[in-house]
Amino acid sequence: MAPETGEMRKRTFVVTRFDPDKDQVPKTQTYEVACRPDWKVLDALNHIKDEIDPTLSHRWSCRMAVCGSCGMNVNGEPKLTCKTQLADYGEVVEVEPLANFPIVRDLVIEMDGFMEKFKSVKPWVIVAKEKAAEEGPNRQSPEELSAFKQFSMCINCMLCYAACPVVAKEPHFLGPAAIALGHRYNMDSRDEGAAERNEVFRGEGTVFHCSYANECTEVCPKNVDPAAAINQAKLNAVVDWAASFVVKRNG
Amino acid sequence: MARASHPQAMTPHRPGSTRTAPPQVPDTFWSQPRMRTYLLFDATGIPYLVLGLIVLRVAVALGRGPEAWQELMRDFSNPLYLVFHAIALISVIFVGVRFFRLFPKAQPARLGPIKPPPRPVIHAGLYAAWIAVTLALLVVLGGLWP
Repeated sequence: MAPETGEMRKRTFVVTRFDPDKDQVPKTQTYEVACRPDWKVLDALNHIKDEIDPTLSHRWSCRMAVCGSCGMNVNGEPKLTCKTQLADYGEVVEVEPLANFPIVRDLVIEMDGFMEKFKSVKPWVIVAKEKAAEEGPNRQSPEELSAFKQFSMCINCMLCYAACPVVAKEPHFLGPAAIALGHRYNMDSRDEGAAERNEVFRGEGTVFHCSYANECTEVCPKNVDPAAAINQAKLNAVVDWAASFVVKRNG
Repeated sequence: MARASHPQAMTPHRPGSTRTAPPQVPDTFWSQPRMRTYLLFDATGIPYLVLGLIVLRVAVALGRGPEAWQELMRDFSNPLYLVFHAIALISVIFVGVRFFRLFPKAQPARLGPIKPPPRPVIHAGLYAAWIAVTLALLVVLGGLWP
């Protein structure tokens, strides 16, 4: 179809709508939008909210793929809508809330389940004894940093959870981002909490639920490669379990 | 349109104050090309199961003597067996290629003082080992050695 006016191009957006006060189940609503060629999906959603339908709810903040809040399913695939070019899509663009999450309203998902899983892997540096300030900073070589740096680039956008076939079927599974972050701290030379986290990894939401579909890595907008982290964490969790029979641990 | 995922998927232990709609996945979730490849990968378990049963049959025929073995060989010349073995071979190659692609990045960053070789080296090593083992088996089973 030729552009309508100048560089503008008309597209149809099929957007999921859900009002918890009125709707029993989500439905879809269609919007016709004249889009500029340089627009991202988020620009179109903001246009709909500002100019067509102010009742539409969606999350966004930074518009530069850093905050991780604008994740949605676009034509069935989890995407950060602020870095998803409309030019890559056809006439009809289907926008849904991230898959595998309860829906609060329209395109806004319930994040508390994710935050619970996130917290359960203890994503902070654990040390047996705090170091006094006068003892100086904890030093880390570039090589030590490289062991985990990739896994620390996660922006918690949750696209990996929306893409994961195991998350869709196993509600207890810790999931890609949480395990990647736990593994990131296990690999940190300053951390002494690997045994605690490995117990979590072997627990209810065990890392062994992962069947290595690799979908989390495919959709990750920051190239974190959570599938690599999970599968490295599997080996570490087994080695840690075996070592626990040989090496006595405190507590 | 969307399908339901597990009703408890990503649901917090303590429900929030707002009623939520249950988790869902797009209709196309299981039919995306990458997901189809993954499901096909999982489905290769079926040929392996059948192959395991056939190997059991081979072992039983070996134990029963030459007549049973000849009968088995006659059965194996049936086109159905040949088609199945072709499917099994394709399954093995498919799983091998996918496994080799994903295996290198699942390696630990280091094992004590030992750092694993770069991923392309691991990748090439896996293929080299696969080809070497296949050739060795062909040589032995083909009666060329010893």
